[in-house]
Amino acid sequence: MIEVAALVKSYGPRVVLDRVSVAFQPGQVVSLIGPSGGGKSTLLRCLNGLEGFDGGEISVLGEKLVPGGARVNARALLAVRRKVGMVFQQWNLFAHRTAIGNIIEAPVHVKGMAVAEATERAHALLKSVGLGHRADAYPSEMSGGEQQRVAIARALAMEPAALLLDEPTSALDPERVGEVLDVLTALAKGGLTMLVVTHEMRFAREVSDRVLVLHGGQVIEDGPPAEVIDRPQHERTRAFLGLGRAAR
Amino acid sequence: MGSTLYGARLSRPLLASVTTPTLFATALTLGAAALTLGGCGGAATSDDALAKVKSAGVLRWGADVQGGAPYIYEDADHEGALKGFEVDLAEALATELGVKAEFVQNDWSALVPSLERGTFDIAMNGLEVTPARSGRVLFTRPYYVFASRLMARRDDPSITADLASVKGKRVGTLTNSFTADQLLASGIEPVYYEGTDEPYQDLVAGRIDAVFHDDIIAGIYGEHRPQLRVVGDFADGFYAIATRKEDRSLHDAVDEALEKLIQTGKLEEILKKEKIWNDRQLGLTAWSDADQRRLLGEATVNTLRWHHVVTFIQAAGVTLVLSVLAMAIAIPLGLFLAVCRLYGNAVVSRLAEAYVELYRGTPVLLQLYVIYYGLADVIKLDAFTAAVIGLGMNYAAYEAEVYRAGIQAVPRGQMEAALSLGMPTPLGLRRVVLPQGFRLALPSVTNDFIALLKDSSLVSVITVVELTKRMTIVAVDVRSWLIPGALCAALYFIMSYPLSLYARRLEARLARS
Repeated sequence: MIEVAALVKSYGPRVVLDRVSVAFQPGQVVSLIGPSGGGKSTLLRCLNGLEGFDGGEISVLGEKLVPGGARVNARALLAVRRKVGMVFQQWNLFAHRTAIGNIIEAPVHVKGMAVAEATERAHALLKSVGLGHRADAYPSEMSGGEQQRVAIARALAMEPAALLLDEPTSALDPERVGEVLDVLTALAKGGLTMLVVTHEMRFAREVSDRVLVLHGGQVIEDGPPAEVIDRPQHERTRAFLGLGRAAR
Repeated sequence: MGSTLYGARLSRPLLASVTTPTLFATALTLGAAALTLGGCGGAATSDDALAKVKSAGVLRWGADVQGGAPYIYEDADHEGALKGFEVDLAEALATELGVKAEFVQNDWSALVPSLERGTFDIAMNGLEVTPARSGRVLFTRPYYVFASRLMARRDDPSITADLASVKGKRVGTLTNSFTADQLLASGIEPVYYEGTDEPYQDLVAGRIDAVFHDDIIAGIYGEHRPQLRVVGDFADGFYAIATRKEDRSLHDAVDEALEKLIQTGKLEEILKKEKIWNDRQLGLTAWSDADQRRLLGEATVNTLRWHHVVTFIQAAGVTLVLSVLAMAIAIPLGLFLAVCRLYGNAVVSRLAEAYVELYRGTPVLLQLYVIYYGLADVIKLDAFTAAVIGLGMNYAAYEAEVYRAGIQAVPRGQMEAALSLGMPTPLGLRRVVLPQGFRLALPSVTNDFIALLKDSSLVSVITVVELTKRMTIVAVDVRSWLIPGALCAALYFIMSYPLSLYARRLEARLARS
């Protein structure tokens, strides 16, 4: 459903993605891991056009994205973004809206859904992420974990075919990480296609079907978690996963 | 027209800003002076005003170059030099006193208060002898006799040589002038101008129906316009030289010198040079003490009455409505400019930037003149509309910058979240970024509105009578700045203080979140 072909992206002289080619199938839960600066987040952000790119081509649910950024891809990007949701490291909840207001914003103003219907669905979504009691809370009144769960509900409200998650637990207090991972695990079990940039090795190993390791702008490892995490082929992967493992 | 437009107008913002803060100082000085006078009782003849002028070697005389020809105006042939019959008269008088004349520029409507606070020794600038003024200053014998002249458009036959024919019509004249008093006495509320040329421009443009002004002003600024006609002349008025009440010795010396200039024919020579000599002036040669008593005898003391207070409250309403409407233009236009500047393509962004720089970089007073008088040939706005648009467009420039700062303070992730949900950029702006940016900008917007309330007093230059202008008119009428000034200040305060509180509360709320 998502195909990336020879993707090239650079910031000035620094090449961030170096001819990356990879495809994702429906229903897959894919963890993107690797050291900082390896290109994980950039790859994710290219998929829904928050970043433009310099070479290659991306196809998302039949929509083609080409180099040239938002101007060139305007129509395709609108279509992609309506079908592919995104969850950010810093939640990015709309600060001037309540939890419910955040969730109904796009269904009402992008899809044209009636406010009453959108609100009803939003309440159900909030309940499903364990926040039925926080409907009228503003972002500034919620903990990071609560905000991130609202952000997930907000993305789900558009009924996306896939969800892109950019380090969804990195900015959370350690004791809040679990509540967000629980929600993601439930979604994975429900069969939602997810691409998750993460540093949570337990999540990568236990929840995802497939793990990609990005390093230096290239995919250096790609396979089921049991292979990639437990029997890494690449020296760099071993180094990234920890000295103990690399020494073994 | 060219000369007055230039020299006079551009000097006004400075003057306006200087005069306002000195109101209270003036009021205080006045109060003190009144107490002193009350204590002495009777006219003191042993003052040293004349001695001071003689020892200083200069006679400082106050006038306003904006009054223009033939009184006092910039000499087109000699840069920086002044011409006019009052310039010549001041020099002749100074020579008689054995000193040099020194010109002091002063806003015409504030000549008397400035005289009282000692900015200059005498005021001489087409200052008509009116009951209100003669109660406040010492007037010499007159040096010019004028007639109040009514002018109308040629194509408007409804106006006849009877002031009753202009009742209910819009009649322009100079603020606080003899002709303004005459109109008020006939039950006509004038349209107030601060310059001499503008009422005739507006009469031609059809913004007003008639102009009632001194004949020599009409002669120079009105009668050369082919669209206009002289309807008729009314009561005679007199220009005289004013000194402070306590400066009896100076008054006597100037009066004596003036009489000498009249008797020797020097005054006639001066008036002929500006081509304003006529038979009316013959009466000056035989001016008697009885004539002078009759002229000054009408001195009456007006006091602040309830109806003045009512006009103040109405004027405060004008100020408030004007400010609200101007802000109603400034807020959306400012928002539009800020969005153009931040999100438009290179050309649009540059245009928005140019607008902001142009409007912030030039005085709002000049912009008001351009919109009202400068564009009169293209679009004929009435004064109030021009004032609303002028202030609104000016404040839009400031609002644009405030919103730009507010929008830029909204974290980038907010727009990314909106885009990632499938919103096109304009929708994301409207639904997510602008509401938050506006909220961040709101304290500054409120503060700007308070500033606008006060800046709105500038629109009096295009004949809108708002609170400050009303205060000036009444203060001259009742010969005191103290109570009208305090009342005016109180009304501004009542309008702005609740807004200040609101802004403070908003700021506190923003600081918390």
